[in-house]
Amino acid sequence: MATISALKKKELYIDLRKYASFADIKNGLTEKLTNISTKRGGSQVTIDIGEKKVTTKQIREIEDILLDYGLYLKELRAIGPPALANEEEIEATVFEEMPDYEDTILIRKSLRSGQKILADGNVVILGDINPGAEIVAGGNILVMGCLRGVAHAGVFGDEEAIIAAYRLIPTQIRIASHITRPPDGETIVVKTPELARIRAGKVIIEKLKI
Amino acid sequence: MESKVIVITSGKGGVGKTTTTANIGTALAMMGKKVVLLDTDIGLRNLDVVMGLENRIVFDIVDVVNNNCKLQQALTKDKRYEGLYLLPAAQTKEKTAVSPHQMKNLINELKKEFEFILVDCPAGIEQGFRNAIAGADEAVVVATPEISSVRDADRIIGLLEASGFREPKLIINRLRSKMAKRGDMMDIDDILDILSIELLGVVPEDEYIVVSTNRGEPAVTDTVSKAGAAYRRVARRITGQDVEIYTGEETSSLVNRFMKMVKLAR
Ligand SMILES: Nc1ncnc2c1ncn2[C@@H]1O[C@H](COP(=O)(O)OP(=O)(O)OP(=O)(O)O)[C@@H](O)[C@H]1O
Ligand SMILES: [Mg+2]
Repeated sequence: MATISALKKKELYIDLRKYASFADIKNGLTEKLTNISTKRGGSQVTIDIGEKKVTTKQIREIEDILLDYGLYLKELRAIGPPALANEEEIEATVFEEMPDYEDTILIRKSLRSGQKILADGNVVILGDINPGAEIVAGGNILVMGCLRGVAHAGVFGDEEAIIAAYRLIPTQIRIASHITRPPDGETIVVKTPELARIRAGKVIIEKLKI
Repeated sequence: MESKVIVITSGKGGVGKTTTTANIGTALAMMGKKVVLLDTDIGLRNLDVVMGLENRIVFDIVDVVNNNCKLQQALTKDKRYEGLYLLPAAQTKEKTAVSPHQMKNLINELKKEFEFILVDCPAGIEQGFRNAIAGADEAVVVATPEISSVRDADRIIGLLEASGFREPKLIINRLRSKMAKRGDMMDIDDILDILSIELLGVVPEDEYIVVSTNRGEPAVTDTVSKAGAAYRRVARRITGQDVEIYTGEETSSLVNRFMKMVKLAR
């Protein structure tokens, strides 16, 4: 029985109904993903776990596994809405989790090649960061346009700092002392807002949920 | 008379600034305008060759600013069109032989006589660029559909904006629409996405440009050349006429749009 099937070009369906415990579901998922073609990167995945309940934390864990393979969770089929582990988890969006900085500067134009912005706190840009442009912030960086250049958040060492962009197609992303860049070769263009942050010592990119 | 002073610039070298200056200038003269082409690429002058006027030059821009001659003596008259003149660069001097201040004064002199003053800018972002933009009120940025050229154009647009040019306009040169359609080359939308400035024209890759450069006859004087036709349109847009932008090959826009939709839908 084929349990991974491609629905559309960039959509996948993974059937995990046969697993009973959440630990088994995670193992089963990892097992299925180990052989997945890198061509599938950027796909939206629908996961079916059947008649079971999950918490939002468990959904996060599933998303994390998918993200390791460059995939996004589109839908988790289970019974009912996710049961919530505790109050705090309700609506804990990334913007509430991100570190606080006193000063935020607002830039109302695009940064073109050769232009650079330095700020101690947060930076919000109502425009694009073009290739060859650079933005360096002590705090978080929020780009309301397309981030194509270089962005460095948490430059004084804050590993919690995030970089969010309406379109994230960076030349390079740096958070604290971590550096990452898109893989060489074919670029996957994701047409949704995205977020970069450090999880487990690595810069990861995930879909921005607000 | 209101004169327009337009600098043609690019950042990256060899993308077609001189070709563009010669063709737009000639096309404007063909429309009966009084035009002067100012070559500011001191040390690497080319515009006279492209215009086929090399053998008529006696004095140059450095002679004028140093008062070695009168402005009128250095203005070389075009061999084809009444009202078209070239003020050549010096071939044997350095870029620093002229200052931005001198350039401004020179352009103010030229404004008394000409409707259009087109300034051919050297490559780079140093003094040659500073000189070329000094007296200009409008800027045209030339870029080819290559990442390096678009990157440099972006840099130049940033510098122009910082120097007070409000709306630099873009000419995309050497577009090969077949390659762009296949996705092997940046297409017009990809470039506009990054540069986000107004498009003034699109000039296709055209072998005739090489022929015309060798003959010293700008492509706009040829009735068959596609690049020539594109430049004639650019000139009409510069004079305020509302002409559609030439995008190279016959437009198969329906197919194009369909392809885009498919791509969008991934
Ligand atoms: N549309 C075109 N099709 C084919 N060849 C072209 C086209 N435009 C320019 N070229 C060729 O590209 C070369 C460079 O053009 P040009 O001298 O105008 O560039 P430039 O930007 O002035 O260069 P520089 O930076 O050295 O001053 C020339 O050989 C020219 O013939
Ligand atoms: Mg030139």
